[in-house]
Amino acid sequence: MKIYKDYKDHADFLTVYVREAHPTDEWQMKSNVKEDVCYAQPKTLEQRVAIANDFVKRFNYPTQFGIDDMSNAANDAYAAWPERIYIIDERGRIAYRGGMGPFNYHPEEARAWLAARYGEVKHEASTPAPDKKNN
Amino acid sequence: MKLGGKLLKWVGAVVALLILAAVIGLSVMAGGIRGAYGMVRYALPHMHRGTLRVGDNAPDASLLALDGSSRFHIRERTGARPLVIVFGSYT
Repeated sequence: MKIYKDYKDHADFLTVYVREAHPTDEWQMKSNVKEDVCYAQPKTLEQRVAIANDFVKRFNYPTQFGIDDMSNAANDAYAAWPERIYIIDERGRIAYRGGMGPFNYHPEEARAWLAARYGEVKHEASTPAPDKKNN
Repeated sequence: MKLGGKLLKWVGAVVALLILAAVIGLSVMAGGIRGAYGMVRYALPHMHRGTLRVGDNAPDASLLALDGSSRFHIRERTGARPLVIVFGSYT
């Protein structure tokens, strides 16, 4: 998670687990089968906790993590499903409101907000692979 | 009566074309007819633009921690620095 690594000294990050987007018993995606990410839609909070822990362990996910209740209170308050990013400023106000995923989910906009405040973090472009013809 | 029947046929044809266009559009977006069904049946009912705007007070909500027992509020994590909240799921 590059944005976290780049700005963790300036901002706090919180990931909130909300209801599954593509569970096996609803609209499952082939890509999830391929990547072995197959879960039914949780019916209990314990099931949500188990899936959230699987996710964090698999990706060694670094940010603070919270799990939405089965009432979907956080999801409803932020119209968050299936994925969405917000930035809350120090006064507790919405400073950035991302679009609804997946089509309008643009983490680069959140990065731009952080960059405007704290400066851009530049990454060296990866070295291109050597041209085989010249070898 | 003749004119009414003709008009009804035209309206029916236009409606059918609109439905066909919607099915094709959704299928393209969702990667096939099955995906289009999944999108309409399972995704669209849960997708909401929401009413929050930049400058609004951020809503609070209670969240469960990964340990499955302790809880915290989003508001507890705000104040000192900006808080980037990423909502999502595993699948």
